[in-house]
Amino acid sequence: MSGQLEKNDFRHTYRLIAVLVLFVVGAAFARWWAVPETFGQFGRYRGAAVASARTETVPRYVGEETCADCHEDQVELHDKDAHARVPCETCHGPGKEHAEAEGEAPIARPEGKGACLVCHQRLAARPGSFPQIEWREHYKFVGVADESVECTRCHDPHEPLYMDRDLRTARLHPMIHRCRDCHQGREDESLERPENHPPIFECSYCHGPIVEDFAGRTHASVRCTSCHIFFREDESTGRIIRDADPRFCLLCHRAADFRSDDAPPGIEWPAHREEMGTFPEDADKRCIDCHRENIHASEVSQ
Amino acid sequence: MSKELSRRELLKVLGAGSGLLLIHCGPVPPLPGTETDYDWEAHFWGYAIDTTKCIGCNACMRACRAENDVPEGVNRTWVERYRIDAHESVRVDIADKGDYVFEPVAGDVARAFFVPKICNHCEKSVCSQVCPVGASYMSKDGVVLVDHQRCIGCGYCVQACPYGTRYIDPRTHMADKCTLCYHRITRGLQPACVASCPTGARMFGDLKDPKSTLSTVLRQGRYRLLRPEMGTHPKCYYLGLDREVV
Repeated sequence: MSGQLEKNDFRHTYRLIAVLVLFVVGAAFARWWAVPETFGQFGRYRGAAVASARTETVPRYVGEETCADCHEDQVELHDKDAHARVPCETCHGPGKEHAEAEGEAPIARPEGKGACLVCHQRLAARPGSFPQIEWREHYKFVGVADESVECTRCHDPHEPLYMDRDLRTARLHPMIHRCRDCHQGREDESLERPENHPPIFECSYCHGPIVEDFAGRTHASVRCTSCHIFFREDESTGRIIRDADPRFCLLCHRAADFRSDDAPPGIEWPAHREEMGTFPEDADKRCIDCHRENIHASEVSQ
Repeated sequence: MSKELSRRELLKVLGAGSGLLLIHCGPVPPLPGTETDYDWEAHFWGYAIDTTKCIGCNACMRACRAENDVPEGVNRTWVERYRIDAHESVRVDIADKGDYVFEPVAGDVARAFFVPKICNHCEKSVCSQVCPVGASYMSKDGVVLVDHQRCIGCGYCVQACPYGTRYIDPRTHMADKCTLCYHRITRGLQPACVASCPTGARMFGDLKDPKSTLSTVLRQGRYRLLRPEMGTHPKCYYLGLDREVV
């Protein structure tokens, strides 16, 4: 050999290249076969899966605006009262089918005490500021003798407290009603006030003369907050509701066959109003415009 | 086989091979398959739960089941009731049977509260990391999803999740979980659980938008995360959480 390379001397290199080529082709084929289309498009997953996640389910909860398209009056009432923050479909279930059929398809209308107690049954774990009851105690308190009577005989679920007042314009109360955050009325609760107890802001702290005046009247056993309903919105603000339409008073004072003998005095409505000659000419007249003496003086010097 | 031909063939084959590889590495197109112009890179979704507002009505669980067709026996979201007695002994229960209603329970309670639970849509989600087939992933807008065409139902993700939010669907035998109602949020709606919460205990929002309610709440810094020591960087922020909850 004279240092000249013969053609055959490269044969092992060709073989190596052929093997490499086969490997690359094989790997490419295996990848094409095993890796689904669009895999790796956005990341280490199938890109097309994102589109399926968006489209394979259709929204069934349509929202209050859709409900208001047909039930405007109902929604408007609902937005004024204590349930303003409760979305329609929380009680009525998803409204898609009902809305698409323009009301022809039925929507859930929850019935029985359970429909209310799902939120309002008294539970130790429920925040103290949330209204909650033992319904038998409540029936006893308001003088309902017949236990088969439904909550809805007195409380319209869309306006449960008949507050003739838009929640959005109700007066903002400067104090935070926090007592019930700790004091939830449990039997084992200590009555001794600890040294580090925060300052107490009872209603009388600012409204002393009114509270004093109230103590001597027929409603003395009723709490201030039973009528002046306090809505806690967040850590620092709350709204206090004062005005109510006559049905608010009727929550306790409606004459009904299901009431017990020791119930608060019941009246026939609207017969009572006609009898007193204030109906319908004076339709805006409120109960307390005649019955002020039963609650507290409207003007008490502070 | 001559030298010239062999090189040409080699180039052809290599060209074809690399072409196949290149198919997978093109520029990122916008999110496909949608009728609305939703830009998934403009959002990063987060979630917050104010435990002081939860009343344990389970409306969220009912809505989730109706919206996402979740079968009985498994949950995408649920509410835990904690009852802690004077000796710091903790009892936890959930109401995921029948009407999903919490019943009163007798017994001494020093403090009690509800804690809603849901997928934390972790930024460094363990469930996606352990998936052997790339069926679990996080979308660009921060939602951990499952690809039902890829999942082989091995259950690694179910075991890996530190929060117990995944399950194997008894009908399909595939992993499933909360999608943050991806079909809703990409249409500008809120997740069903948020849309049905009567007290505003559940909040959903865009972490990329400094003006969103969620960002505003989180800026105050008064929140806690579940099991932060796991390094999963969860995106479900808890407000007013009791010290017993981890």
